[in-house]
Amino acid sequence: MSRRERLVRKILGTATLCAAALPLSILIFMLILARPLLSSFSVSDLLTGSWAPLQGRYGILPMMVASFLLASCSLAVSFPVSLGCAGLIFGLTPPMLAVPLRRLVQLMTGFPTVVYGFVGVFLLVPTVRHLFHAGSGRCLLSALVPLSLMITPTMTLFFSDAFAAVPRPILLAAAAAGADPVQRFVWVVIPSARRGLAAGLVLSFGRALGDTLIALMLAGNAAQVPSGFLESARTLTAHIALVIAADLQSLEFASIFLCGMVLYVLTSCAALCAWKMRAATRKNSR
Amino acid sequence: MDPVVKIRVEGLTFRYGARTVLREVSALFLEGALAAIVGPSGRGKSTFLMALNRLWEEVPGAHAQGRVWVRLDGRERLVSDPSFPATELRRRVAMVFQAPNPLRMSIFNNVAFPLKVMGQRNKRLVAQEVEGALRRAFLWDEVKDRLDEDARRLSGGQQQRLCIARALAAQPDVLLLDEPTSSLDARAAGVIEDLLLTLKRRCTLVVVSHYLEQVERLADQVYEVAHETLEILS
Amino acid sequence: MKRIWPWAVRCGCYAAGLWIVSGAAGVVGFVAWRGLPHLNAQLLFGDVSARDALFGGVPVFDGLWPAVLGTVALVTGAVALAAPLGLATGIYLAEFSRGRLKEVLTVFFDVLAGIPSVVVGLFGFSVSLLLHKLVSPRLGPCLLVAAFSLMILVLPYVIRATQSALEEVPQEVRLTALSLGADRVQNLVWVLLPHSLQGIASGLLLAVGRCAEDTAVILLTGVVVTAGVPRSVLDPFEALPFYIYYISTQYGSTEELERGFAAALILLGVSVSLFALAYAVRRAVGSWALYRA
Repeated sequence: MSRRERLVRKILGTATLCAAALPLSILIFMLILARPLLSSFSVSDLLTGSWAPLQGRYGILPMMVASFLLASCSLAVSFPVSLGCAGLIFGLTPPMLAVPLRRLVQLMTGFPTVVYGFVGVFLLVPTVRHLFHAGSGRCLLSALVPLSLMITPTMTLFFSDAFAAVPRPILLAAAAAGADPVQRFVWVVIPSARRGLAAGLVLSFGRALGDTLIALMLAGNAAQVPSGFLESARTLTAHIALVIAADLQSLEFASIFLCGMVLYVLTSCAALCAWKMRAATRKNSR
Repeated sequence: MDPVVKIRVEGLTFRYGARTVLREVSALFLEGALAAIVGPSGRGKSTFLMALNRLWEEVPGAHAQGRVWVRLDGRERLVSDPSFPATELRRRVAMVFQAPNPLRMSIFNNVAFPLKVMGQRNKRLVAQEVEGALRRAFLWDEVKDRLDEDARRLSGGQQQRLCIARALAAQPDVLLLDEPTSSLDARAAGVIEDLLLTLKRRCTLVVVSHYLEQVERLADQVYEVAHETLEILS
Repeated sequence: MKRIWPWAVRCGCYAAGLWIVSGAAGVVGFVAWRGLPHLNAQLLFGDVSARDALFGGVPVFDGLWPAVLGTVALVTGAVALAAPLGLATGIYLAEFSRGRLKEVLTVFFDVLAGIPSVVVGLFGFSVSLLLHKLVSPRLGPCLLVAAFSLMILVLPYVIRATQSALEEVPQEVRLTALSLGADRVQNLVWVLLPHSLQGIASGLLLAVGRCAEDTAVILLTGVVVTAGVPRSVLDPFEALPFYIYYISTQYGSTEELERGFAAALILLGVSVSLFALAYAVRRAVGSWALYRA
């Protein structure tokens, strides 16, 4: 190995170390800044308690419930939609329609979240208010629709990739056995792509959980456990955005770092799970 | 006068992962001769060539043991000697691949690439060397007016001769050729065969081939790959 | 009865397609319908003439101009930080690391890619707290901190694009220069990088798009409603996505609201064109851009 090669290797290695230090240092910062709260309350109280800072209660349960509810419901809506779209792109519709659909889905990944939120505020919220006579109209339902619309394109592209990775011989075998395109799709393609589908689902869950603007603009932001879809709710992400302006010394302020940690841990788990699943697919296909 | 041994191989064993491709191979190649290696495909002929210029080191999962000497500037050098940089070895023992592989650049820059690698900055000298290499590869007359064109616009046979010219540009002692005609039609292959016969005068050639007639026409020495080893045929 | 379910599946798929198409049409149509009539020079510069604002240094108070410039400054800063670091890391992962180390690092960057932008913004905010405490009490959330945080957000895109573009270079191409005596650095600079330029460029375009549209990060790292044209990287700044968010929460007049719609239309257009460009580059830029290595 030449001296130049060693030098280049060293420089690139240092850069890589710096980049790899980022995820770790984010976690460490969260831990340090959440410490005032962690030292005065037990973790289980914080994770299961209610939010009433005036009474000295800093539990983040309402936010966690809202985040989970919103993320899983939007996932429940967008999963079948994505599956259908990916199916169309895969070949259930002639290329004349499939190709433009794929283009459109790719472009939709570029829609800014703040625009979804903006349209939601001026189109969806008044509609929900009139239809359901639901207070201000800012509620879980109003956030759910644009959020599911936002995660559908990425999920569709994940699913398309998973379908495209299904080995051709299997498809040809199914076609030779007389299966029509729909039967092939349902009996052959979906089962053999199930790991890729699960990985896409998990990653999309992370994305839905991590979205801030749609929830902040549309869900109403009341810090209480929601009892229905027409109730106002505050997600973990919106909580961070709302409380950031609080007094830096207060426990209220420290609670946003706890929220940050919860989000961090959940999304990292999602990323790790997705990676595990994809690693397993790779091994199987070898 | 006894012929000089250019390359000496002793006890070469080669593995891809857990699969052994060559076992305990020994061979001699003479200077100024054209040696052919024949045998069915997928038995390690190309692998053997990569062992001679240490290119296998860049292939993930490949592993070689054993010793190879090449005679350079009048003395035998051990190829795997850590003080002998692989880059210098590969300039002295050049290689041409089965499928023509021009780089994504102009014809001129392709042939000048080895000189660029060596750090040659004298433009006049580079132009001379490029012209010389193209002439030696019988390509100069066909491309002299289009040196700035993308090399990938040439025909298959021209591309392969371009790759030979590129390999010759650094004045190598040995030229390894891995089935150089297998992707070409009969006419283009004929041109390359003629070319190989003239090149024999300047450097040692080791050619992998599976066309027996071709081998009979060209080769001074023939080895056959069989049962994970090389056997001398003539 | 047997023939009904394939038909139903097909109908379901078409319904899904229809839903997504109408969703996209709804968003684009609504923003365009309300914003398009108000796209004009006055939108950007308010009552100041364009020439005065651009060259005369006349401050713009009721136009989008400062927000547009703020976003441009932000994107430039973030990508200028992310590109060298991301390229270096991607190259290291693809060319110089192997086995276990490579796997662990790849997972690390997967995790980094999954971190919500609001958490990244929170990290940026805490970094600015640290700077405030350790370096100078005058430091706080500012353009530099926001650009740094956005850099973290888009770093995984650049790394992934670089790494996968390099790993997709076919083995024959990879060995060509090496067989001619090039060392690994020469091979990288003269062959592998030119070969993967498209992939890297599309990654950078995606990074630009993400920086331009992200709101959560800047919300926590120094964006404000009025700051004027950015003058120093240590000052707070205006940005287009934040302006849109701000209008949606409190607009004083219909005029402001109209400006909000126009801003949303601009941001949507810019962001979508960047993504379209990124996909187009990845698919079809011919050798013209790569002709001279």
